[in-house]
Amino acid sequence: MKSSNEPNEPESSESVDRVIHEVDGIQEYDNKLPNWWLYTLYGAVAFAVGYWYWYQNASIGQSPLEAYQAEMDRAAAEQAMALTVGDATPEALVALSKDPSALALGKQVFVSTCAACHRADGGGSVGPNLTDDFWLHGSAPDKIFRTIASGVPDKGMPAWQPQLGALKTQAVTAYVLGLVGTNVAGGKTPQGEREPISAR
Amino acid sequence: MTSTTATSETAPPLRAQRIEYDDATPMRFMAASVLWGIVGMLVGVVVALQLAWAPANVHATLGFGRLRPLHTNAVIFAFVGNMIFAGIYHSTQRLLKTRTASDLLSKIHFWGWQLIIVSAVVTLPLGLTQGKEYAELEWPIDVAITLVWVLFAINFFWTIARRNEKHLYVAIWFYIATIVTVAILHVVNSLAIPVIGGTLKSYSVYGGAQDALVQWWYGHNAVAFFLTTPVLGIMYYYLPKAAGRPVYSYRLSIIHFWALIFVYIWAGPHHLLNTALPDWAQTLGMIFSLMLWAPSWGGMLNGLLTLRGGWSKVREDPVLKFLAAGVTFYGMATFEGPLLSIKSVSGLAHYTDWIIGHVHSGALGWNGFMAAGMFYFLVPRLSGRPLYSRRLADLHFWIGTFGILLYMVAMWVSGVNQGLMWRATNPDGSLMYPTFVETLIAIRPMYWMRLIGGSMYLLGMVMMGYNLVRTGLTAKVVTTKVDVVPLAPAPEVPWRDVIFSRPIVLTVVVLGLAGAGMASNAFASPLFLIVAFVVALFGVLAIQHARRSGGAPFHRILEGRALLFTVLAGLAVLAGGVAEIVPALIVKPVEAVDAKPYRALELEGRDVFIAEGCYTCHSQMIRPMRFETVRYGDPSTLAESVYDHPFQWGSKRTGPDLAREGGKYPHLWHYRHLVDPRAITAGSNMPPYAHLEGARLDLTRTGDKMHALSKVGVPYTADEMRDAEADARAQAGAIVAELAKDGAEVEPDTQMIAVIAYLQRLGKKPEPSKGATEGVSMQEPSTKETTK
Repeated sequence: MKSSNEPNEPESSESVDRVIHEVDGIQEYDNKLPNWWLYTLYGAVAFAVGYWYWYQNASIGQSPLEAYQAEMDRAAAEQAMALTVGDATPEALVALSKDPSALALGKQVFVSTCAACHRADGGGSVGPNLTDDFWLHGSAPDKIFRTIASGVPDKGMPAWQPQLGALKTQAVTAYVLGLVGTNVAGGKTPQGEREPISAR
Repeated sequence: MTSTTATSETAPPLRAQRIEYDDATPMRFMAASVLWGIVGMLVGVVVALQLAWAPANVHATLGFGRLRPLHTNAVIFAFVGNMIFAGIYHSTQRLLKTRTASDLLSKIHFWGWQLIIVSAVVTLPLGLTQGKEYAELEWPIDVAITLVWVLFAINFFWTIARRNEKHLYVAIWFYIATIVTVAILHVVNSLAIPVIGGTLKSYSVYGGAQDALVQWWYGHNAVAFFLTTPVLGIMYYYLPKAAGRPVYSYRLSIIHFWALIFVYIWAGPHHLLNTALPDWAQTLGMIFSLMLWAPSWGGMLNGLLTLRGGWSKVREDPVLKFLAAGVTFYGMATFEGPLLSIKSVSGLAHYTDWIIGHVHSGALGWNGFMAAGMFYFLVPRLSGRPLYSRRLADLHFWIGTFGILLYMVAMWVSGVNQGLMWRATNPDGSLMYPTFVETLIAIRPMYWMRLIGGSMYLLGMVMMGYNLVRTGLTAKVVTTKVDVVPLAPAPEVPWRDVIFSRPIVLTVVVLGLAGAGMASNAFASPLFLIVAFVVALFGVLAIQHARRSGGAPFHRILEGRALLFTVLAGLAVLAGGVAEIVPALIVKPVEAVDAKPYRALELEGRDVFIAEGCYTCHSQMIRPMRFETVRYGDPSTLAESVYDHPFQWGSKRTGPDLAREGGKYPHLWHYRHLVDPRAITAGSNMPPYAHLEGARLDLTRTGDKMHALSKVGVPYTADEMRDAEADARAQAGAIVAELAKDGAEVEPDTQMIAVIAYLQRLGKKPEPSKGATEGVSMQEPSTKETTK
């Protein structure tokens, strides 16, 4: 940068608003650079040098990937300490399926997240019908929970617990338990094994 | 400082000559700029409507993905392009006191450029695209752009060679930097290998991270050297002219010019912060963006301080109003730019509408208003008629300003809001807004507000067009004749003495030391930097001392030497490009050994993805942030895109990231979603792609495509290229069979099946096809298997 070539002569007050060139009727003054502007320039250069040294020369600061690894390690440690929000036992899930507040939350999650493939009423479209007695991955409450939480990647069912969290995953499981057996009209043809609700 | 002025140098009594300026050319360029400006912004309003209200995607050729590149290209290259050509052709003649060298070249430049624009208007909606942002045009048009630009350069430098004014004014410096740099950027970024056999299709010679780096070196510097430097040159001519005030500071011009062109070129990687791009390149992009703040503001200051004592005129004159507001918007945008380039700020803002707001404050505020100021100044003067309506121009100013503010505020709110929603997590690390569409629905009102703001701005443009046509935009220009005194031959300082003068030697030494410091280790680095600082300090003192004892000012000599000036400007610009891009071109990522190119059908699907402009809304780059990997899967690696020519990392997420889309949903989901996105995702604003079902693939050409790709380093075997069609049919058959099982009948050789094959491949290794895998597995960093 040529920034340093031009003198800053405080003593030559005659350089204020003095025309030094003219071309095609355009005149040019040669006024001093505003100090605050110069300090901004120097400050940015000094910061840049320091930042580069910190992150690249000395590698004191973490790169984005290192920062991410540290974040994930921290998260893993936290998750190991804090147990899941209420263990997802069949009994707990059945109890939850009778809790109106859990059902309300579950319905909300179902409509925004599951309805795309399973239809708003659970009748199924891309994904299977959830209102009949046929099950691909088991009809027991804990099996349904596992299907939702961990997904079935081969069949295109995503694992939802990482995105939804334990609470919403359980709530939506409770809601699905309530859909079973409603046999809505126009639902998708049955898929999987017949496991009537009484069998669980 | 010396007290001799320029006027005393033209003392020898040479006979004056009468010359006539060519003002038909600038007038023609202005008319084209106004016309294309209205067209380009109309397309902008249409795409804004499509984002707010998906049914506005009325036809396959008029979908968002195809119109968005047309909008950006039209506004940048047609509206601003024609505007800067008008300003350059008009002001250069006057600043050099000579007529443009060749009327023929001026005409070829004008009509050639319009032809290029027309071909863009035709090819982009047809889906003929290279898939690189702001460089979408296919290779024959790229060749035409290069030719026209070279003719423009010849005409310009020929004019300089015939000048009757020894010293180049600051506006000319900016024009020189523009012409040289745009040529370099365009040629290097557009290098592509055509598919043999009479199609327009081509593939970028760069792949993956290399392409990302080259593309954003280009993309960022298209902003710098197409939208900024020429317009700064225009500011330096028309602002003091219109205000009747002297330019505030010559030395500020010198410093901010050289600092701007040297620093700008390094800043490209700030478009790739927190991606898989090597960290050193990201850091360079960030720190040079921060250092760009002051040089950018140098231009704004010189403009605004030139208006000192003239602000009462600003209140009355629409020209000054537009120019002053334009420069102010420039100052705002160039403050926001460095801010957005800080890695953590980019972490929030990247992929969101904040960036869209940022570019529009520059494009509408700076470019659009500088254009309007220049047009309102020039059209009355060139047509010899007073402005048809000053009140209409005033109205244009206010409606335009209000439109910009609405637009910017809408995009700030939308961008920050969506960025925060994406990263919002519950205490257990799960996402607060797990479905992407929730975050889109939340910002939908802002899309309507943006549409209103943009429409107001367009209305202002139409008013301007009407006002200018009534004034005489399409009328014959009045001839301007002036008497000029040819330059007397005078002894020149030898070029060696200029090149090896103290300021240049000092600059090179200090930058060299600083560069060595940056490249060395933690212990050597401070030594280099301290030496660089001391050398700089004493060097400046020595130069000042020499100046006081009466040496000729160095830069004044340089301004008289157009060729030397051009060479030095070229070198200043090349430094950053070479330092960043060359290492990236040489180094190949270690993990690439494990990557496999796309199968034939997937490649066809990828071409459909590019042709439809899917990359304008979907990124394929998962950043290493927890909220992002919870949503999309492990961070993207360099290896995953190493065979992507061009890269598809994207820059905006109007829809979710697709880097690990493969296998996430069944084929049926994709089929139904592509046919009617809202049948699957209520509230989605994605255009429907039902037409892909009826669009046939020409699988006889797939082998040729693979052959072209193999020329740029994608390791397709001879067998794979020969059997491309059979392999594509086999893969298509499998997908069709599975869809049929789920009750959907789709023809196998359609673009629909190909694009599903491609989407299902994203983030996955291909199923092992017949060929044995030469699997030399190298040790690979953590993220090996794909999720979901």
